[in-house]
Amino acid sequence: MNSAMLGALLYLRLTSLKNLVLSRVRRLRQPKYLVGALVGAAYFYFVVFGRAFGRGGRAGAPARVAFVPAGGFMPHDTAPLALALGAFALLVVFVFMWVLPSQKPGLLFSEAETAFLFPAPITRRALIHYKLLSAQFSVLLQSLFFSLVFNGRGLVSGHAFQVLIGWWLILTFVNLHYMGASLTIARLIDRGTSTLRRRAAVLGGIALVVVVTIAWVWRDLRAPAPADLAGADPFARWLLTILDGGLLHWLLLPFKLVLAPFFATGLGPFLIALGPALLLLGALYFWVMRMEASFEEASLAQAEKRATRRAARRAGNYRLGQAAAKARRPPFALADTGRPEFAFLWKNLLSTRAFFDARTWLVGASLIVFGSRLLARMGPAQQGILSGLGVAALILAGYTLAFGPLVARLDLRADLGNADILKTYPLPGWRIVLGELLAPVAILTGIVTLALLLALCAFQPSEHASAWLAPELRATYAVCFAALTPALVALQLLVPNAAAIVFPAWFQAVRTPGGGIDLMGQRLIFVFGQIFIIVLALIPAALTAALLVFVTQWLIGPMLSVIFATVVVLAVIVGELWCGLWWLGGRFERFDLSAELRP
Amino acid sequence: MIEVTGLTKRYGDFTAVRDLSFTVRPGEVLGLVGPNGAGKTTTLRSVAGIIPPNAGTVRIAGHDLATDPVAAKRALAFFPDEPRLFEYLTVRQHLAFVARIYGVADHAAIAQPLLDELEIADKADELPGALSRGMKQKLAIACGLLHGPSVMFFDEPLTGLDPLGIRRMKDSILKRARAGATIVLSSHLLHLLEEVCSHVLILKQGEKIADGTLAEVAARFSEGAPDVSLEDVFIRATGGSEK
Repeated sequence: MNSAMLGALLYLRLTSLKNLVLSRVRRLRQPKYLVGALVGAAYFYFVVFGRAFGRGGRAGAPARVAFVPAGGFMPHDTAPLALALGAFALLVVFVFMWVLPSQKPGLLFSEAETAFLFPAPITRRALIHYKLLSAQFSVLLQSLFFSLVFNGRGLVSGHAFQVLIGWWLILTFVNLHYMGASLTIARLIDRGTSTLRRRAAVLGGIALVVVVTIAWVWRDLRAPAPADLAGADPFARWLLTILDGGLLHWLLLPFKLVLAPFFATGLGPFLIALGPALLLLGALYFWVMRMEASFEEASLAQAEKRATRRAARRAGNYRLGQAAAKARRPPFALADTGRPEFAFLWKNLLSTRAFFDARTWLVGASLIVFGSRLLARMGPAQQGILSGLGVAALILAGYTLAFGPLVARLDLRADLGNADILKTYPLPGWRIVLGELLAPVAILTGIVTLALLLALCAFQPSEHASAWLAPELRATYAVCFAALTPALVALQLLVPNAAAIVFPAWFQAVRTPGGGIDLMGQRLIFVFGQIFIIVLALIPAALTAALLVFVTQWLIGPMLSVIFATVVVLAVIVGELWCGLWWLGGRFERFDLSAELRP
Repeated sequence: MIEVTGLTKRYGDFTAVRDLSFTVRPGEVLGLVGPNGAGKTTTLRSVAGIIPPNAGTVRIAGHDLATDPVAAKRALAFFPDEPRLFEYLTVRQHLAFVARIYGVADHAAIAQPLLDELEIADKADELPGALSRGMKQKLAIACGLLHGPSVMFFDEPLTGLDPLGIRRMKDSILKRARAGATIVLSSHLLHLLEEVCSHVLILKQGEKIADGTLAEVAARFSEGAPDVSLEDVFIRATGGSEK
């Protein structure tokens, strides 16, 4: 690559970086970004860096030991195992790089880069150089970030150089190998090697290594004896013997060479370890530059796909992570007339996995009822398993209720891109909002009720258990909790949907991956805001329930008091929900995404 | 019938549409024209009930859009420049969904002739992802026409269509107008508007420059010249610039 071309490409990269930094700094003039940046910075200072540098945490509690290079911090007997495990982890990452690509991989260029650089008089080798240079910018930033987060103590104790170089070597090694693997796979595909054959070859190689290693362990070593599993130290020693011998030793050697400077115990060993690591990087660089493979077509397709995803996000479409678009049978027959809210339920269920339907729920419920009865009759050991399942089911129900609404986004948030069309429908706003909430409510309620059923069937309390855990009362709890679940889920879903309508520009930015410390702070504000609002909304209901059970249990007995409290709590939550729907519906009627997104 | 009086839409300090009034009667096709940023799309979105105006009244088929939006929206259909479809619904499922929203009884009996007329009957079980731009446009039109609207708004209806598609779209608009529908459309393709529109409304910087029948507006800006085209009228009326 001649120097003029290199200068032009460097100019492009440096100017883009400078403008990116400037635009991020300039947007801090807007309060929402400034507040986000302050919150993000506070999070990093107190939570991430605080832990890494030994600050924060409970008073008097020992600071968490940060992940540091061996030099001065890591015990000498731990360093070899950490080195071997790190090398093994890198090996796994590299195997995935060879196995995962299902289509012809290309080097990742932006749409603008493909438009300007591909037709320009630049050789393919120059383009690869450009990508290598571009990657170095992010590698350097990542090295700094990882050093700060994982090796803060190493940085402030005179090992900054070793830490930074150590991370740079590892990340550059991974990056170079990724480019080399992508180009090699592209060339293999050009030569007619199918994805299946490539995967079979790689996985076959892995299987061979596994078989040889097992055979070697079998012949020369021994399976872990009870003494090896007695504690962390003996097990670590046994594991190191496996990772450091036989075929695995040779397979992990290049990875250990790259990791060696990071784990070096001082400046001398570090400088000695640096030579082989740099030689290895040189070899990878030579491999990448010698690779004659056409990547342009695949790069164009990738750039186009990324641009489409970005445009969809900007338009308010957040359907990522959902089922791939595929025509399928509707979840239920939709009559021509009736409540229009169910049309939204029908539509949104069509965009999920096919197994989210009533039939799956019924099969699951039947399996739980009959399976738990079978296990209960088999004996004490199986009853123990059943109790364990019961505990797991209760945890699942709790997690689904708490975090499900954050994950399930088959509601108004996923339909913001179609807001113009939704608003032309002859429906008041609250009906549209309610209809949009029904699918995630139905799915999460289905999961929670199945978990409750399992917990109900699984627990067999002892005879000495409290009267409050009598079988009929447990059944009452389960039924009451199941009755509250749809309203609780809907109430939680209202908050992020309201955020999407009331702060659309902010919400859009927050949903966009990456974006800097200010956006990270904004995401934190959203999460904590949601938790705060939900707690605030549930306090009246929880206080009412506690008071009612406390007072009425003496008059009408525990079971009726729980049912009575549930009915009252349900009324409180439905009332809150109704107010929320009414208010959010009005906001939706006045909602104008294009106005919100005006610069 | 569409009756718009004193329509104003502001975005902060910027006024996109200022004190706009016009009436479109059944059977008429009004063409909204103007330079970029003149307020055409904002006007269409305001009168279709998508965005609330800051001032003014809009009556659709006799219903006030502000006080009785549901009845007004039941009578209208809005066709955006880019077809907005649901990624996971097939052509047939789109129609079933829209039928339920508008309460169209026995929608299949209405949908089939529509699909035949728009020539997408053979794509009834396809997802939007498998359709061409023109096919998507046709599906959006089928969805809009399913409930038999008496008022229709088209925002740049000819964007992305091939010559055959443009011809069919024009025929379809004229057919609906002859059947008594009230139609408003915006487009930059002036020579095509000349073929379709009975009336024209010229906007510039959010304000009405002129409106009336094509002949009336032409006469006003022709400066005595015979046979002036809508393009000439447009350039003279707007002064040949966006500002």
